[in-house]
Amino acid sequence: MSEETNTPQEQPKGPIGRFLALPTDSVPKTVFVAVTLCLIASMIVSAAAVSLRPLQEINAQQDKQINILQVAGIYDPEADVIESFAAFEPHVLELSTGEFTDAFDPATFDDRAAADDPATSVALDDDPAGIVRQGEFVTVYLLRDDAGDLDKVILPIHGYGLWSTLYGFIALEENGNDIYGLQFYEHAETPGLGAEVDNPRWKALWNGKRLMDENGELQISVTKAVPAAGADYHIDALAGATLTTNGVNNLVRFWMGEAGFGPFLENLKAGEL
Amino acid sequence: MAQTRREMLIDPMVDNNPITLQVLGICSALAVTSSLKVALVMAIAVTTVTAFSSMFISMIRNHIPGSIRIIVQMVIIASLVILVDQMLKAYAFEISKTLSVFVGLIITNCIVMGRAEAFAMKNPPLDSFVDGIGNGLGYGLILMLVGIIRELFGSGSLLGYTILPTVNNGGWYVPNGLLLLPPSAFFIIGLLIWAFRTWKPEQVEEREFKIQTVDAH
Amino acid sequence: MGLRNFFDRIEPDFEKGGKWERFFPIYEMIESFIYTPKTVTTVAPHARSYVDMKRIMTYVVLATIPCILVGTYNVGLQTNNAIADFGASGWRAAVIDALGIGFNPNNPLANILHGMMYFLPIYITTLVAGGIFEVVFATVRRHEVNEGFLVTSMLYALIMPATTPLWQVALGIIFGVVIGKEVFGGTGKNFLNPALTGRAFLYFAYPAQLSGDSVWVPVDGFTGATALAVSAADGYQALAAQGMSWWDSFIGFIPGSMGETSTLAALIGLAFLMVTKIANYRMVVGCMGGMIGFSLLLNLIGSDTNPMFAMPWYWHLVVGGYAFGLVFMVTEPVSGSHTNAGRYIYGALIGFMVVMIRVINPAFPEGMMLAILFGNVFAPLIDYFVVQANIRRRAKRHV
Repeated sequence: MSEETNTPQEQPKGPIGRFLALPTDSVPKTVFVAVTLCLIASMIVSAAAVSLRPLQEINAQQDKQINILQVAGIYDPEADVIESFAAFEPHVLELSTGEFTDAFDPATFDDRAAADDPATSVALDDDPAGIVRQGEFVTVYLLRDDAGDLDKVILPIHGYGLWSTLYGFIALEENGNDIYGLQFYEHAETPGLGAEVDNPRWKALWNGKRLMDENGELQISVTKAVPAAGADYHIDALAGATLTTNGVNNLVRFWMGEAGFGPFLENLKAGEL
Repeated sequence: MAQTRREMLIDPMVDNNPITLQVLGICSALAVTSSLKVALVMAIAVTTVTAFSSMFISMIRNHIPGSIRIIVQMVIIASLVILVDQMLKAYAFEISKTLSVFVGLIITNCIVMGRAEAFAMKNPPLDSFVDGIGNGLGYGLILMLVGIIRELFGSGSLLGYTILPTVNNGGWYVPNGLLLLPPSAFFIIGLLIWAFRTWKPEQVEEREFKIQTVDAH
Repeated sequence: MGLRNFFDRIEPDFEKGGKWERFFPIYEMIESFIYTPKTVTTVAPHARSYVDMKRIMTYVVLATIPCILVGTYNVGLQTNNAIADFGASGWRAAVIDALGIGFNPNNPLANILHGMMYFLPIYITTLVAGGIFEVVFATVRRHEVNEGFLVTSMLYALIMPATTPLWQVALGIIFGVVIGKEVFGGTGKNFLNPALTGRAFLYFAYPAQLSGDSVWVPVDGFTGATALAVSAADGYQALAAQGMSWWDSFIGFIPGSMGETSTLAALIGLAFLMVTKIANYRMVVGCMGGMIGFSLLLNLIGSDTNPMFAMPWYWHLVVGGYAFGLVFMVTEPVSGSHTNAGRYIYGALIGFMVVMIRVINPAFPEGMMLAILFGNVFAPLIDYFVVQANIRRRAKRHV
């Protein structure tokens, strides 16, 4: 540090040295110390922020990509995330039509910002998932197999649990009806109870369940008792976490229903992709 | 200097521990101790910030005007904290997500400010650095203890490795959910203070008043 | 009086200078349990009274007897009813088979016996685990083991679900005794109710075993939600569909913790405590007032999404732990307010909080435990303001 202590006995050298030798509490010295310190500190901080930003952005992006890879069941901790993620085909989907749109670039489209923006979202009157505003456009991810046929679709879902909004993805098989997996990447539910939505054993229950019965009625439910539709459409509730379970039930049913991905799933079943 | 450097380093562990004796820095100790790994990173972050802020403040201590003393200390501490935060976000993203705002709140951690004001303003840089390390380690020691208890009995694991297989994962251990909630750290720190003061009775504070007792016999 | 002679003979060993001086608290505990305590206030300036600590505590334990009887009967009844559908298993079934009593829910004896086989293990575990820690602290700290623990252990056992694993019972009472009482210096210096402290510890530590639908009736596979859980989900009107009428709830034939389902039994206990002047009526009045007032207000406000708003006060009275808590915990003299005006406020605060937690907080259908602990924390503050107000009032008189 250039500002190493000057002991009073030393002769002040040069203009800076004379300045430092001023009485510490004098006004010019106070201003000088304040300004210098702020300059140095701001330079260090901004240098760090700028130089580390690319790394941080990659981290934040990878974090989301890892979740998508996990829900699709192809996450390999050894492999490069960006490379694995290249297998996915991101699209921005218009919910009301169930069609992909080219109005936005899927690489930069921000679902959450769009859901807050009045221009691209609607306030919900019937709001079982407790999300207040629903974006009209969301980013979905398609996974194709080696032959180029559709293998899985990854759809973003979110809704209110007990204490927090749960954000996650649901992965469906190519028929748009069989569930491959479900994963929440952000929530603040009670540890040990509601937070068991992260428990791999519970998540594994989702695999192989179906959304709709033969008549196209939405039957999937997360409840304590097996409903009339049968075990194929039922995921057992989390023990001791009734309200989180209700939240998950509501948000899955909301997003898989008419107001959510319903039109898209129709198109998917009709084989339009 | 009354203290040797060795004492500066060792003293804050037990005899003058910032958490159990001075009862500082409790807020972050509650928030970041539900798993050992996060507690460890937090301890390292606080130690780094305390040590370097004390050192830098000590370097310029003769030029800090009394009227803006606290602000100068804050600027130095805040810059260091931002640096640490940026580093974590860049190189330890998972952990920085769990630590979230608490890295930023190191700025308000009384231990850092306390050492700057009480020690670094009066002592040479190297001593201040050692003192900062010592106090950071003292803080870290308690964080580790609380983190070990909370993670081991709250989720049956240490540093993420399963030690006691929990019932939800097919094992036998029924995890204690209270330990995953922040208030449990209050109990644990309280019990640690109790243990420390039973071990070192000289740490017990003088009673402000005494409940009158009548000898029953 | 061979026993008295025995005590007289060994007593010098435990007194100051005796060889077992350290263990005086244990000697004192056993002796005063069998005979009357040595120390009763008999001369001025103390108020002379025949009421000593032992008598108060014994009366409170006596007052819980109706709760124990109805509670064990109810546990047996619920269990025997469920066994009809789910079958019996475990050592209890083996014992009952061996005795040839059977699982007939219409046989009161069979119900009480079956209930006792759930209550007694929990109660005995509580006594042993908590008792050991009481004695250890008494010995180290050189104070006496207090009859208060008999009350604490009885209340604690009664607010447990019948299915609680015994190791959790032990852990909870140890936490209650140590953190709720001994760290503050023992009986009389605790500011929280130790039984509730232990219960709250278990509630947050092991919620899956202490709350939910499957813990109240100890039959595998059977789920029966408490009246409060049903009301929170579908409104109190739905209780009828579950076969729980108001009278069932009042008498206590609904799922719940072992001793707290019966409002009637709790009120009998209250009458006894009132007659013997152990329970202070001000706390009871305050707590009833706070509960009735706030639930009426919520009835008026109403809510489209939260059916609990509509729950009338007479339902709040009979479901959950309200009545039991009111009788045995709100009126507890040590952790409550000590001033008469403060007692009204203290009671009202608890009555208000219990409705608040039950109705407005989504996470906890039952609110009595948390409301009482909340009241405990505020009791000293309430007393402080009452005393300060009194000082100001008297100061004005002497301007």
